[in-house]
Amino acid sequence: MVGHGGALTRNSRASLWRFARALFTTNLNAALALRGAFVTQTVFMILNNVVFFVFWWVLLRRVPHLRGWRLPDVEVLFGITATSFGLVVALTGGVRQLGQFIEEGELDTLLTQPKPTLLYALGIRSRASGFGDMLSGIGFLAISGHVTIVTIPLVAVLIAAGSTTILACGIVFFSLPFWIGRTETISRQLWELLITFSLYPEPLFGGVLRLMLFTVLPAAFVSYLPVQIIRQPSVAVVTVLLAGSAAYLAFAVRVFERGLRRYASGSRFVAFG
Amino acid sequence: MTALRKYVAFARIAAVQAARGRGELYGRMAFVAVILGVFSALWKAVGEAGMPIAVEMSALVWYLAVTEWILLTPAPAYVDIEADVRRGDVAYQLARPASYLGAAMAQGVGVLVVRAPVLAATCFVCAFAVTGRMPDPRSFVYVVPFGISAMVLIHALYVLTGLAAFWLGDVSPLFWVWQKLLFVLGGLMLPLALYPEWMQWLAHGTPFPSLLAGPGSFVLGVGSADAWTLASRLACWAVVITFGALVVFRRAVRNLQLHGG
Amino acid sequence: MPSLPAIRVKELTKTFRVTRARPRSLAGRVQDVLAPRTEVVRAVDGISLSIERGERVAFIGPNGAGKSTTLKMLSGILHPDAGDATVLGHVPWRNRSALAFEIGTVFGQRSQLWYHLPARDTFALLAHVYEVPPDEHRRRLAALTDAFDLGPFMDTPVRQLSLGQRMRAEIAASLLHAPRILFLDEPTIGLDVSAKAAIRTLLRAQSETDGATLLLTSHDTGDMERVCHRAVIIHQGRVLWDGSIADLRRRHVKSKRITIWSESEHLTLDLPGVRVLAARPYYMEVELEPGTTPVGAVVDAASRQGVLHDLAIEDTPLDEIIRSVYRDAEARSTS
Repeated sequence: MVGHGGALTRNSRASLWRFARALFTTNLNAALALRGAFVTQTVFMILNNVVFFVFWWVLLRRVPHLRGWRLPDVEVLFGITATSFGLVVALTGGVRQLGQFIEEGELDTLLTQPKPTLLYALGIRSRASGFGDMLSGIGFLAISGHVTIVTIPLVAVLIAAGSTTILACGIVFFSLPFWIGRTETISRQLWELLITFSLYPEPLFGGVLRLMLFTVLPAAFVSYLPVQIIRQPSVAVVTVLLAGSAAYLAFAVRVFERGLRRYASGSRFVAFG
Repeated sequence: MTALRKYVAFARIAAVQAARGRGELYGRMAFVAVILGVFSALWKAVGEAGMPIAVEMSALVWYLAVTEWILLTPAPAYVDIEADVRRGDVAYQLARPASYLGAAMAQGVGVLVVRAPVLAATCFVCAFAVTGRMPDPRSFVYVVPFGISAMVLIHALYVLTGLAAFWLGDVSPLFWVWQKLLFVLGGLMLPLALYPEWMQWLAHGTPFPSLLAGPGSFVLGVGSADAWTLASRLACWAVVITFGALVVFRRAVRNLQLHGG
Repeated sequence: MPSLPAIRVKELTKTFRVTRARPRSLAGRVQDVLAPRTEVVRAVDGISLSIERGERVAFIGPNGAGKSTTLKMLSGILHPDAGDATVLGHVPWRNRSALAFEIGTVFGQRSQLWYHLPARDTFALLAHVYEVPPDEHRRRLAALTDAFDLGPFMDTPVRQLSLGQRMRAEIAASLLHAPRILFLDEPTIGLDVSAKAAIRTLLRAQSETDGATLLLTSHDTGDMERVCHRAVIIHQGRVLWDGSIADLRRRHVKSKRITIWSESEHLTLDLPGVRVLAARPYYMEVELEPGTTPVGAVVDAASRQGVLHDLAIEDTPLDEIIRSVYRDAEARSTS
C-alpha cells in the first residue's frame, strides 16, 4: 500500500513513541473537553486530600513524634503518594477501567488495531481527579520543607518509580477478569488497599505485614522507600527502588499478556452471535 | 396503619436485596479488619511517644471500631437516588400513593437491619482480636441505640445528597466533601478532645460529632449523664435534617411539575 | 498472474464453554461454586469459504448463528479451535499485528471514536496508529470528509452527534488508512431509514473507489441487497447458502403476489396456480405459483374485466426467502 513503509519500519520504536505521545495528548484533550467537570473534580480532590491530612495535623501537634516521624515526614509521604497516584490516574487512567474493558469486550476494538493493546488500553481514559491529586501532592511536598530546588530531580525520579509501581499493581489487579469473572469489587478493594497502606507511616508496621508491604502489596515501593530516600539519601536504596518498580512493571505486563492470550482463545464466557 | 405497612414492605424488600448483594458487605468487613489493625499499630506507636490524652490505647481502638461500624453500615443511597432523578423515576413515583422520601428512608432502615448486626459482629471480633480486651459491657447499652440513630441520620444525609441531583450535574463531589468533613469534624479516627479548641467549637456547629464521636465516646468511659446531652443533640439534628429533606424534596417536586422530568 | 483470494477459510471451528446455573436453592448455589455445570456450544461449526479481492459479501444469520464469532476470528481477535484461514496471506491469529495494518473494522455496537472529542481528533490519532504519513493522511481525510459529508460536524464533540452522523464518522475512521479489507459487524444497527440508506450508499461507493473487499454481518436484508452482491447465510454455525443474491432469489422464489385495484366491483381470476388471498369491492389480492400461469396472463384476465386503476406485482421479499432457508435447514436437522 502506498506510503505505509516497508515491514521493517512498522511499529518501530520511533513510531511507537509517536503513537504514545499522540495517545496521551488525545487523552489529556478528552479530560479537558468537559471543562466544568474537570475543574470540579480537580478542586474537590484537592479538598479531599487536605481534609484527610487534617487528621495527621491534629495528631502530630499533640504527639512529639511517631517512631521518629514528624509532621514534615507525613507531608512528604502524602506528597509522594498523591502525586504518584495522580499521575497514574491522569495519564494512564485506563488502568482503573481495565476490568470493565475485559468484561465488556471493549478490548476487541483495540485488538484489531496495530498497536500494543495494553498501552492503548491504559492511555484511552483519563480522570480529572488525578490532576487534583497531583496538585495537592506537590503542595504537600512544598510545605514539608524537605524538598529544595536541588532535590527536585531526585523527587521526580521517586515519583516516577512510585507511579510505575502503582500502575503495575493496577494492571495486575484489574486484569483478574481475564481469569475470574465479576471481580470488580475485589480488584477495587486491592487497589484501595494499596493506596491506604501507602498513606500510613512505615514504622507502624512490622513482621508479616511489613513483608507483605514489600512484596505482594508493594506500598513500600510507592511511598516508604521514597520517603526514606528523602530523609536519608542513599544510592543503594534508590537502586533498590528503581529496580523493584521496573520489576513490578515487567511482571504486570507479563500478566496482562498471558491474560490477553486467554481472552483471544475465548476461554472466558463470551457472548457470541 | 395500612400506610405504615407499605413502608415496612419497602424496608423488607431493601433488606432482602442487601442480603443478596454481599460482595460490597464483604469488602467492608475486610476493610474494618485492615483499618483496625493499622490503628492498633498507630496507637501503640503513639503510646510509646506519650499518650496525649488520659485514655488507654485499647480504648481508642474500640472507639474506632464503633465509629467505623456507624460509618460503614449505611449503604451509599445517594448513588441510586441520583440515578432515579436522572432517569426520571422520581416523577413516576409521585403518581403512586407512597412518598418517595418515605420509601427511601424505609429502604435505608431495611438495609440497616441486615448490615448492622453483621458489621457489629465484625467490628467487635476485630477489635477484640487486636486489643485482647473489651470495654465495660455497659457501654454497649449506650453504643447500640445511639449508633443506630446515627446511622439513620447518616442515611438521611445520603438521601439529601442524592436529591441534590435535581440541581447539580454530578453529586459525587458534594458527597466527597461532606463525607470528609464527617470524618474530620465527626472525630472518626480521633476523639474530639484531641482537637484544638477552635476546631471543637466549629465541629459542634455541625451534626457530625453527634453522629460518630458521640456514640463512640461511650467506650472511652463516658457516663450516662452525657447520654442525655447526646440524645438531645441527635434529636435536634434529626429535626433539622428531616425539615431540610422535606423542604428540598418539595422544591424538587415543584421543579419537576413545572419543568418536567 | 493468478489472483489470490483475499480471504480463504477452511473448516473453521469455534466452541465455547458456557456455564449453566443450577436451580436457585442453597445446595444448587454451593454446587455451582464448587463444580460449575458447563455446556459446550458450537458457535462456529466448520465454515469454509473463499472471498476474492473487491468482493462485497454479506454474512446473514439470526442471533447466535456464529457471524460475529467468525468475524472476530478473521480479524485476529479470537483463536479458532480447528480449521485454517488466511486473510491477505496472513493467518489472522498468528500475525494479528501485521494484518491489523491492512484491515479496518467497524463494530456497530462499539465505537472507536473518542466520546468527548470531535471526530477530527480521533482521525488524527488513528493516523499515528496506522502510521499514515501526514500528507497522505490529509489527502485521504479530505476525500473522505467530502464523500461522507462530514464537514458540518467534524469539529463537534462526538457525544453531540446523531447516531447517523456518528456512524458515518465511524466508517470514515475505519477507512482512513485505506485498508484492503473492511470488516463490519452490524453497521446499520439502530439507524433510521434514511441514515441506513446513506450508509449503504457510502459503503458501496467507497469500496468501489478503493477496490476494498467488504465483509459485513447483519440481520438486515436491506444491508445485504443494497451493499453486497454475494450472501453467505449462516445458521447454527454452518453455512447454509453461499452465492450471489440474484441466485438466491431465483432458487428460492416461492411465488408472486399480485394486488389489483379495478374499476369493476367484482373480479374473477379462476386460473391455474392462482390463489385468492383477499377480495373486496374493486380490490383483489392473489398469490401466483411459479411455473403455472404467467403473470401477464393474470393481468390480462383482470384488465379484460375492467380498467385497472392500480397494480402491484411483488416478489417474495428476501426476508421470507431467507427464513425459508432456515426452516429447510431446521427441518433437515430434526428429520
